[in-house]
Amino acid sequence: MAQVKIDNVIKRYGSVQVMHGVNVDIDDGEFVVLVGPSGCGKSTLLRMLAGLEEISDGAISIGDRVVNDVPPKERDIAMVFQSYALYPHKTVYDNIGFPLKMAGRDKSEIDQKVRGAADILDLTKYLKRYPKELSGGQRQRVAMGRAIVRDPQVFLFDEPLSNLDAKLRVTMRVEIKELHQRLGTTIVYVTHDQIEAMTMADKIVVMRDGRVEQIGAPLDLYDNPANVFVAGFIGSPSMNFIHGQIVTDGGVRQFRSDSGLLLPLPQTALPDGHKVTYGIRPEHIAIGNHGVPLRVVVVEPTGSETQVFAKHGGDFVDALVKDRFKAAPNSEVRFVIDPANVHLFDRTTEQRL
Amino acid sequence: MQSNRLGWILLAPTLVILFFFGVLPFIYVVYVSFHQWNPFAADPTMIFNGADNFRKIVFDAEFLNSVSVTVIFVLFAVISELVVGYVLAQAFMKEFPGKAIFRTIHTLPLIMAPIIVGSVWKLMMTPSIGIIPHYLNAWFGISINIGTSPVAAFATIIIMDIWHWTPLVTLTLIAALVSLPPDPFEQAQIDGANKRQIFFHITVPMIAPAVVATVFIRLMDALRTVDEVWMLTGGGPGSATRFVGVHIFKEVFPKTNYGYGSTISVIVLYLTIVACWLLYVTMLAPRNKKD
Repeated sequence: MAQVKIDNVIKRYGSVQVMHGVNVDIDDGEFVVLVGPSGCGKSTLLRMLAGLEEISDGAISIGDRVVNDVPPKERDIAMVFQSYALYPHKTVYDNIGFPLKMAGRDKSEIDQKVRGAADILDLTKYLKRYPKELSGGQRQRVAMGRAIVRDPQVFLFDEPLSNLDAKLRVTMRVEIKELHQRLGTTIVYVTHDQIEAMTMADKIVVMRDGRVEQIGAPLDLYDNPANVFVAGFIGSPSMNFIHGQIVTDGGVRQFRSDSGLLLPLPQTALPDGHKVTYGIRPEHIAIGNHGVPLRVVVVEPTGSETQVFAKHGGDFVDALVKDRFKAAPNSEVRFVIDPANVHLFDRTTEQRL
Repeated sequence: MQSNRLGWILLAPTLVILFFFGVLPFIYVVYVSFHQWNPFAADPTMIFNGADNFRKIVFDAEFLNSVSVTVIFVLFAVISELVVGYVLAQAFMKEFPGKAIFRTIHTLPLIMAPIIVGSVWKLMMTPSIGIIPHYLNAWFGISINIGTSPVAAFATIIIMDIWHWTPLVTLTLIAALVSLPPDPFEQAQIDGANKRQIFFHITVPMIAPAVVATVFIRLMDALRTVDEVWMLTGGGPGSATRFVGVHIFKEVFPKTNYGYGSTISVIVLYLTIVACWLLYVTMLAPRNKKD
């Protein structure tokens, strides 16, 4: 187990810079998730941690050791790839035992550890099979088994659940989290799925275009997003953003959108006429009799909750309510917004106000 | 049933051609191998002589010698081609200046007919006019004569075969290397394997099917090498390069001993099949075995 420090790391491919000074501190035993859209540099960062990709500037340390020039095999890390990267010509047993064999451990120790890992991961029945004879979830577990037998300082996961179907993904998510609770090893986990990030992480690192947008605990990011990007990325369905300005109307300070929609404001010292982006999460909107009037566009019932898409002029607002709700398209609906749940962002810098 | 019939219809032309040009001649050769037959003799009738030809083979010192010479030649040539071909294939996986031109030149020998390869090498190897003996003598003071030295003749044929056929091995190995997924190799680095371990534990097993296929092709080709050798040394000096192909050729054409030549052909075919089977069993079968 070890802490990991990523210090002002820069990555260039030729003259193109793709990573612009990334700083992340990971504590011993922490489960950190790197999340962001495709191309944000999260996988590159993970590969740099693994030593598969060189860093152009900055420093990465694992434990107390700077590992910039340390080859992967000496970093004492284990990695699980999106493709699982199993050795197709080796049995499950030999796949899991491979790192130990490379480390020159004796046969009885390898046997004991492989069987131990297989037991944890429920793979004992499959030890003599080849990867091609396994299902996706089983392959995934073999890849994890190969990682845990090494008892490494850090586990690296590169989108390990992306190739699984939705149901299995939920199961494996729980298994990985449980594994972390049991082993207590530091984990760095890359995903583009914010639900995975929210449910598994102790700490989330949100990345975009080779930069860290925000680092924090899942609920921290949910409650206090630093900017429009993080606010929109964390949470599902995504936060509503409405462009407009602050006005005083009939002695009451309100938000007026570009299409004239009036919405309640939280306490703010911003002057009238200040241009802002108004953010409200769909789950923070209720349907009532005295709210903001909008026209229904689409109603999507999912059983446990109902998502209501409504509009006013050019502004679309989407609400997620627990109750069953029926409305004809184009009928009027009133959205009740508690100002305490509203996020205001500067319209030009997109930073939170 | 429908798709089954369609399958047979689509296969029919190939099967017909294969029957007339593959199966029928083979059966005919087996038939001839049980006869004494000289079609150019005063009496050109085939005389059935049972297994006499096969019995004769066992005591035919020249044939036995030709088998051992061939086996040594095949081992040297095919193993060298594999090693050189793999090194070149790895080189072609990397970028270097002039790669395209080098690759084209390197592939040229493949498109040359063996008889031409043989005659070109003969020109290059003939003492007093050949470039190779000339420079070996001028630079290193070595004088070689493939007309008198069995070792020189044998070595020249192996080198000629390597020159001619390594590009084929390189091409098939490049195809195998290109299609390898990168992840297991990165995984192996993380798992603590060094370059040598990655080569033996990951690369070799993963390209093994391509290697075996290539070895099959080269093995079968090398076992029936005739024209290049015939052109370069004529099987000599003595019987130093008298490979089975050359031996059969000499039995059949100068001696017009068609029956005995056919017998040798059948035996050589049998030995080839056995060699390929052994290769298959040792290299591929263990991994196909399942519980």
